[in-house]
Amino acid sequence: MTGLLSKFPWFFSCRLLYNQRSTQLDNHVGLMHPPRLAVSLIMLHSKYFTSLLLGQPSRRWLGPLPQVCAGLLLLTSILAPAFAAEENSLEQFRKNIEPILVEKCYDCHGNGMEEGSVAFDGFASQEELVENPQLWWRALRMVRAGMMPPVEMTPLTAEEKQTLETWIKRSAFHGDPNNPDPGHVTLRRLNRNEYRNTIRDLIGVEYDTQNDFPQDDSGHGFDNIGSVLTVSPLLLEKYLAAARTIIGQAVPLASKMTPEKKLTGIEFLPEGADSNNEANSNNEERGPRWLSYYEPGWVSHRVKVEHPGRYQLQVNLSADEKFVDDEFDYNKCRLNFSVDGMSKLSEEFSRQGHKPYQFSYDVDWQPGEHELIFELTPLTPDEKQIRSLTIRIKEVIVRGPFGDEHGVPVPNYAKFFPREVPENIEDRRVYAHERLEKFATRAYRRPVDDETVNRLVALAEVTSSHPGNTFEAGIAEAMTAILASPRFLFREEAALAPTADSTYPFLDDYSLAARLSYFLWSTMPDEELSRLAAEGRLRENLPAQFERMFNDPRSEQFIRHFVGQWLRARDIESVVINGSEVVQRDAAPDPAAQKMRKRFRALLMKPREELTEAERKEFAEVRRRFRRQRERFERFDLDGELRRAMRRETELVFETILREDRPLTELLESDYTFLNEKLAEHYGVAGVTGDEMRLVKLPADNPRGGILTQGTVLAVTSNPDRTSPVKRGLFVLDNILGTPPPPPPPNIPLLEDAGNEQQRQSFTVREALALHREAPLCSSCHNRMDPLGLALERFNALGMWRETDHGKPIDSAGALITGEEFTDIKELKRVLVANHRQEFYRCLTEKLLTYALGRGIEYHDTETVDAIAAQLEATDGRPSALLKGIVGSAAFQKSRPLQTAIESATIDSAASDASTTKTASAAHATSAGRP
Amino acid sequence: MSHRDHKLSGKFPRRHFLRGLGASIALPAFASLSGTKLFASEQAANVAVTASGAPLRTAFVYFPNGAIPSSWWPAQTGKDFTLTGTLEPLQKLKNQLQIFGGLDQENAEPGSDGAGDHARGNSVFLTGVRLQKSSTDVRAGISIDQEIARQVGDQTMLPSLELSSDTERPSGNCDSGYACAYQHNVSWKSATTPMPPERNPRLVFERLFGAGSPGERAANLARRRAGQRSILDFVMEDARQMESRLAAQDREKLDQYLTGVREIEERLQRAERMAAAKDPGIEAPTGVSQNFGEHVGITFDMMLLAFQTDLTRVATMMLAHDGSNRSFDHIGIAEGHHDLTHHRNEEQRIQKVAQIDRWYVGQFANFLERLQNTPDVDGKSLLDNSMIVYGSGNADGNRHTHSNLPIILAGGGGGTLNPGRHVNHGSQPLCDLFLSLADRMGVSNLERFGDSTGRLKDV
Repeated sequence: MTGLLSKFPWFFSCRLLYNQRSTQLDNHVGLMHPPRLAVSLIMLHSKYFTSLLLGQPSRRWLGPLPQVCAGLLLLTSILAPAFAAEENSLEQFRKNIEPILVEKCYDCHGNGMEEGSVAFDGFASQEELVENPQLWWRALRMVRAGMMPPVEMTPLTAEEKQTLETWIKRSAFHGDPNNPDPGHVTLRRLNRNEYRNTIRDLIGVEYDTQNDFPQDDSGHGFDNIGSVLTVSPLLLEKYLAAARTIIGQAVPLASKMTPEKKLTGIEFLPEGADSNNEANSNNEERGPRWLSYYEPGWVSHRVKVEHPGRYQLQVNLSADEKFVDDEFDYNKCRLNFSVDGMSKLSEEFSRQGHKPYQFSYDVDWQPGEHELIFELTPLTPDEKQIRSLTIRIKEVIVRGPFGDEHGVPVPNYAKFFPREVPENIEDRRVYAHERLEKFATRAYRRPVDDETVNRLVALAEVTSSHPGNTFEAGIAEAMTAILASPRFLFREEAALAPTADSTYPFLDDYSLAARLSYFLWSTMPDEELSRLAAEGRLRENLPAQFERMFNDPRSEQFIRHFVGQWLRARDIESVVINGSEVVQRDAAPDPAAQKMRKRFRALLMKPREELTEAERKEFAEVRRRFRRQRERFERFDLDGELRRAMRRETELVFETILREDRPLTELLESDYTFLNEKLAEHYGVAGVTGDEMRLVKLPADNPRGGILTQGTVLAVTSNPDRTSPVKRGLFVLDNILGTPPPPPPPNIPLLEDAGNEQQRQSFTVREALALHREAPLCSSCHNRMDPLGLALERFNALGMWRETDHGKPIDSAGALITGEEFTDIKELKRVLVANHRQEFYRCLTEKLLTYALGRGIEYHDTETVDAIAAQLEATDGRPSALLKGIVGSAAFQKSRPLQTAIESATIDSAASDASTTKTASAAHATSAGRP
Repeated sequence: MSHRDHKLSGKFPRRHFLRGLGASIALPAFASLSGTKLFASEQAANVAVTASGAPLRTAFVYFPNGAIPSSWWPAQTGKDFTLTGTLEPLQKLKNQLQIFGGLDQENAEPGSDGAGDHARGNSVFLTGVRLQKSSTDVRAGISIDQEIARQVGDQTMLPSLELSSDTERPSGNCDSGYACAYQHNVSWKSATTPMPPERNPRLVFERLFGAGSPGERAANLARRRAGQRSILDFVMEDARQMESRLAAQDREKLDQYLTGVREIEERLQRAERMAAAKDPGIEAPTGVSQNFGEHVGITFDMMLLAFQTDLTRVATMMLAHDGSNRSFDHIGIAEGHHDLTHHRNEEQRIQKVAQIDRWYVGQFANFLERLQNTPDVDGKSLLDNSMIVYGSGNADGNRHTHSNLPIILAGGGGGTLNPGRHVNHGSQPLCDLFLSLADRMGVSNLERFGDSTGRLKDV
């Protein structure tokens, strides 16, 4: 990888090269008519641009430049005749496109037909039709996906398809490949993950945004999309509170503090343990100590102090348990905490669901050793032990001795205050200015103006002037304000001045630095990036910087969050799958068990007070049997470890392919995966022992390998009790082939009425779906989705291999709508790689571009996506080509200039028109009015 | 739950953390939590207040995926009706509520927008507008709770409270081309700003009363507020500076930020003006329980506490988002809820869905019972002085219909409602009901809302 990434030319140099070459080309094609020349140039440029833009990391990418040029010119001359000279897009449309539409499309989209609300001849004028990029974008996608014309109609010839594609991309989109529209990325606020990482890197505090902030909205499948990330009043409140908490934790308010020693739970040893041995062996894991509610026991620690004086002991505990659904544990215990034989705490604990406790005690200690003892006494020997109740001794913090003379330096003081605070007011102001400018520059990820720093200094001075407040407290207050500022919370971007030739301007280096760091690391730029940006040298150092960032461990964030959302690997941690139910349904139905469940539900429906004594007994019995049955299958439930292993498998496979620059098609088909013992057992792969995930070469006949057969994808696309071939098929169309079917019609007829109820009870999913597909309304999409999902039917909702569904053998054979037949998943994978690679490349490119930019793909991105996908095809699917293609694209590097005042006024009024009621829009205007 | 009730007294610590408390601490002491300031302060005329001077509250509780119609609707209309089937858990509260038939959300129908009935069901429910079908360009409308909060919100510390007992959201795309915001929010501050609900009861509690042990909370809350004003001044100036550099689409994002800033400023002003809410003197809940029933119960308890202490008079709660595929194994149903609602007319599946519907109703009934057992400042019950709408944006989850929605209006509305009835309104916009409630809350100058055609007269 190192070699690959290091020597490709990047955007800037590409453009220079291009300009030189195009001059030559102008000469070369000087005899052509201008429009034709334009087309040729466009064609040439798009290829050429891409190859240069993407760079040439390996000889395999492209041949020597002259050959490429020759090839491109050839290509140009082949395609150019499609558009004769001196035609604008309308004329081209009339001449080349309209005849195709009339012949192949008008049966449904013309001559009075209006399927899907599309009639090509239904526009006021042909100008209006031609100037409708959204319509043509839809058409392009439908044609490319093979959805249009529908299978039963006459297909487009390859030439027609090419003509149509070319015209749409060049004319309907008004694309100027020489100066592609980079699009507009709506002002992005940091999402929960980015906020947490940024805070960690900025100030060294771990802030649990996952728990404390409301969930981020996502759009286009990702949670970093500017336009859908909103700021509600609640979130703003959270931001303010977080800023205060974070600064409170990080920034010392004085240079000296009372000495503090933390004794973790594990340092409290049970009776008879050799303190030296245990203390040493546990040096690495300074974790908590657990005491069971069910067994008497005690642990102790001797703490030695040097100075006499007042000390404070702070005890941090929690009452933990292992969750068991719907069953409680009524055990109680008493916990004693004593210091030198004096009891300080004696409290009774029942089940408290992980509740934390904090107790503080003051003690006057003499120099020497002091003994701290925790002692637990069970109080309920006869109760059933269900939830493994424990007292978790997190730590005891020993603070003291108190008094200024004992103060010790605050550990991270110098990080925030490298010099001593000056006495003189003027010097203090200078010092405050220096500290706050530095912090604000990092936090805002770009230089701050003096006016802002002066406001910060003023804020700091007011705070530190309050009685009892230090200089440091003032700085901390100003830093709190910085973390609450929109300039920290949003990622503001700026562009360089537009160039004379009115091409789209490049983003400035600070914006580029932030785009890179949030793309690859989900965090703020580090010092090196910021320094290069400040020196204005980032763009020229882009290849080296990209390589450095990619090789940095922080890029794990990119892998985790991109794969986590693209392949939904994140969701495996929370998806509800009922293990015992899934496994039982694989076998033949058990009428007795079904009857029992039914009876249970019937009894449950009756008001308790109406149950007869006999029914009460029955209820208890049914419950008991239920539980027993569930216990039998408990081992199939996806526990936390297994879920994590699944997520890691997906991440590691992707990461390996990326880091080793292996063909991306290995995501679809490979003879290896990553497993640990638990996951291997789940998959039925022998010979893997131990907890750590490692590369496992799969036996030739093993169906695994590739994302489709990973536990993550298989489980997150299932229902809690059964597989869903439709969801699985949809997943493949959506995330692998990039050709999602249109959503189902709103009022789905009750197709499943077909067949009688008894039949349906024992239907396999395949049988049910076959009925479904008989309806023409459903077949067009389900013929595309279902075979993909049914090929995966050999994997149950837990992702385990199975032989039967409802006790019947499973048939995973099928045919794609494009005609290829397959008998099992292995063959399907082969078909996808061999025949549908390009769709996959394009799909992955779109997903990655979406994630990298923080906006959805628009029609004007078509050229960029096509170019990168073509490059992938040319390089055998090398991830380096993909990543560099994204980072080198105009969309990533450039910016659409600000809109004029008139344009924004139009948008504003459109926005308020959208709020449907007068009153509502009035409310909107009031609440969102400017200050 | 009552089959375990014998355990409540001795061995059931914090099963429902407040219910447990109700059992152990005499209720009168608990009643003293209610604010007294209403009688003392100069109330704006008739804003969210009952004739007897108590606060008037309104809440909207959303349940997912509609309800099986045949099990939902009582056979009789008028005052003489029996709640069976799905609504049976509400039978003993029958005289405190109204079952409304014939209310529609027409804008949740597909129209020319095609599929996406769960996204629409969810976000049209309280807005009544047609949603912009887009993954990016999110446009709904202000929701009725926010419209009310906009006018009565300054009476209380929090203008409104948004709660949820839903699961963590999955990644990936949401319903049929609609942005996920639609399917996961019912409350909208404006067309473009959803109000994401809080699903962690501990955080709700700390927001209401402050963090820490009972004794420290008020001080912690005050400390958090102190010094906030100077920070707000600073960030406001930063925002102004930034605004001048932004494109129009971006300014909208900044506007959301500024709205939040202003709201906090207003709250600071109210904090100076109003007496602090009394601390309930109980431990904060520990977080999100893994037991769904417990999570729902505690979340309802948070709403009750906020109403009782008069920290807000407007609330919404999402039991789960529309399309939720939660499994109800604890009542013997292993399938996913949404999956089941497409029941293929199989009796078994229909029954299971009805049981899930009923389970949700049961949780709501528990909440109403607690409201009824909690005395308000005027000696009536909290339920008497509330208007709680319970409903779903889908009527029949199988067919995705949005007319004749399952709607219950609970509470006496401070004597302004006529509970104890099952009324069929024929076919009226649900928004007509919302207007009637808004009127009672003292909202003025709201002629229309969503697709309203007038006021619902017979409530």
